[in-house]
Amino acid sequence: MSDWYAMNVVLVQTTLTTLLLALSIQVPLRFGVFSFAGVGAFGIGGYTAAMAMVHGEWTTWPAVLLGMVVAGVCTFALGLVVQRLSGLYMGMATIAFTLIVSVLAVNGGDWTGGPMGLYGAIGEITTTHIVIAVLVVVAALAWTELGGLGRKVDTVREDPELANALGINVNGYRRLSFLVSGLIGGLAGAITTLLRSTITPAEVNFHLVILALTAIVVGGARSWVGALIGAIIFVWLPTFLSFVQEWEKVAYGFIVAAAAIYLPNGVLGVAKDLWHKVRTREERAQVAAALTKES
Amino acid sequence: MPVQDVLNAATLGSIYLLFTLGMALVWGTIGILNFAHGATFMFSAFIAHVVTKQVELPFLPVVAIAVVVGAVMSTLTQLLAFQPILKRSKNQHAAEMRILIGGIGVAAIPLALAQRYTRSSPFGFQSTYDAQVYEFLGLRITTTAVIIIVTGLTIGVALTIWLRRSRQGLALRAIGVDAETSAGMGVNRPALALGTMAVAGGLAGLAGALLTFQLGAIAPETGDILLIKAFAIVVLGGLGSMLGTVLGAYILAAAETFVVVMNWGTWVNAVSFGLIFLILLVRPQGLLGRKEVRRT
Repeated sequence: MSDWYAMNVVLVQTTLTTLLLALSIQVPLRFGVFSFAGVGAFGIGGYTAAMAMVHGEWTTWPAVLLGMVVAGVCTFALGLVVQRLSGLYMGMATIAFTLIVSVLAVNGGDWTGGPMGLYGAIGEITTTHIVIAVLVVVAALAWTELGGLGRKVDTVREDPELANALGINVNGYRRLSFLVSGLIGGLAGAITTLLRSTITPAEVNFHLVILALTAIVVGGARSWVGALIGAIIFVWLPTFLSFVQEWEKVAYGFIVAAAAIYLPNGVLGVAKDLWHKVRTREERAQVAAALTKES
Repeated sequence: MPVQDVLNAATLGSIYLLFTLGMALVWGTIGILNFAHGATFMFSAFIAHVVTKQVELPFLPVVAIAVVVGAVMSTLTQLLAFQPILKRSKNQHAAEMRILIGGIGVAAIPLALAQRYTRSSPFGFQSTYDAQVYEFLGLRITTTAVIIIVTGLTIGVALTIWLRRSRQGLALRAIGVDAETSAGMGVNRPALALGTMAVAGGLAGLAGALLTFQLGAIAPETGDILLIKAFAIVVLGGLGSMLGTVLGAYILAAAETFVVVMNWGTWVNAVSFGLIFLILLVRPQGLLGRKEVRRT
């Protein structure tokens, strides 16, 4: 176990940070908000934490916290501005927000290190720390998937008008989803940056949006479990399928397109459907057995 | 030299226009935001590049290859990805999202193939075509730039008129307003959608070939950034308005040229991203759009 862990420590850490990034996009999606601002928050959080450490000589955890808060505030402010947009317009406005973050980073001069990025933000983050952070986030999100709150969130996504009629504050929930998305995205960015000790504007690009999106699309967009499945698939697949490593990107394209066409609810959706089928079959068998006994 | 800058802006705007027209046509009528449009654009030029590596070709055959490849790719995308998604989706909102994601997936395939083949370095054409440089009154313009401006304006105006005057144009606009009612009136949506996608792909291929001739070489990633710019143009001009798209393309090109002339080159991309924001907030229906942005 410890040998395996020592060999794969980077992959384990990448899985966890990818999970956080995927969650930052999944949260608004669960509220029916098509926002990619979480990736912009990733950039803001990463840069803020790195700047706090490099220029302000802060220590690791205050820097991470600052990155998280600044990203959360920025994303929440964005949410206030774009909340009346819907569907694709919201999606593209938030992609534009993400790309503006990278343009700002390129033009930040000494503060952000310009196009070369910012170096030397060496944080003291261990895998244990990341695991704790991820557990806290996942526990909080799992709580929003349970019981009455979970049903409220589902209603806000599936039928906003019905939700309004039921007295659920739809716009309030949507604004909240921006804040949560920003906080989680900022956390992911800060942790990733301080782990690697560098961040460059080129990292906060369209492909990061795609990576996060594909992880939750393939895994399943309705639950944090789906994001976990997606993060594991996309981080570990290349190591197992070394023979397709050459064609990795082509394969990913096919996987994403196929998932969009055939598995709208992701791997998790398929698993849930199967489980449901098995259970109904068992129940029927039991009922049938009981009936034959009676007769 | 301000006049020279206007000329450069006109060339850039015409490239934007050729690229955006296809996307705006598909999105404004059959309601599909094709995220693979940028990849279609790049891959058509790439196939032309591969062919010209074997045989040196004159200008027109190279362009023709790119147009055909673009049309075929776009049609295949519609047949293999978007149609199945539309068939399997419950409502418009779910379909929109799945089409966007499916398009992102489809776009990744040609991009990865081209990156692998070229090792992510820019590629160009081996052509017998040799651009002439004309100079008059201190202005410099190449034959390629003239061709681009003329083609862009002609196709832009022709498409606008066709969509307004022809029966198919009427049918397409009807789908854009209300897909179900138009189907009830006898509009064959799947066939028109396929045709529209083919035309859009052809235009993407044309833009790809012309831009490669103009710049000498393009990188495999060129399509991605153009896609966001095209989105800004459609939003600026107004969804469903071809004339708005024409205006939007030249306005964006002028604004970007201005930024470059002022020596703020690193901010160029912020122009289109900022424009998306500004328009969506101030005038969500765009300059010439009539349809309101759907709100919840």
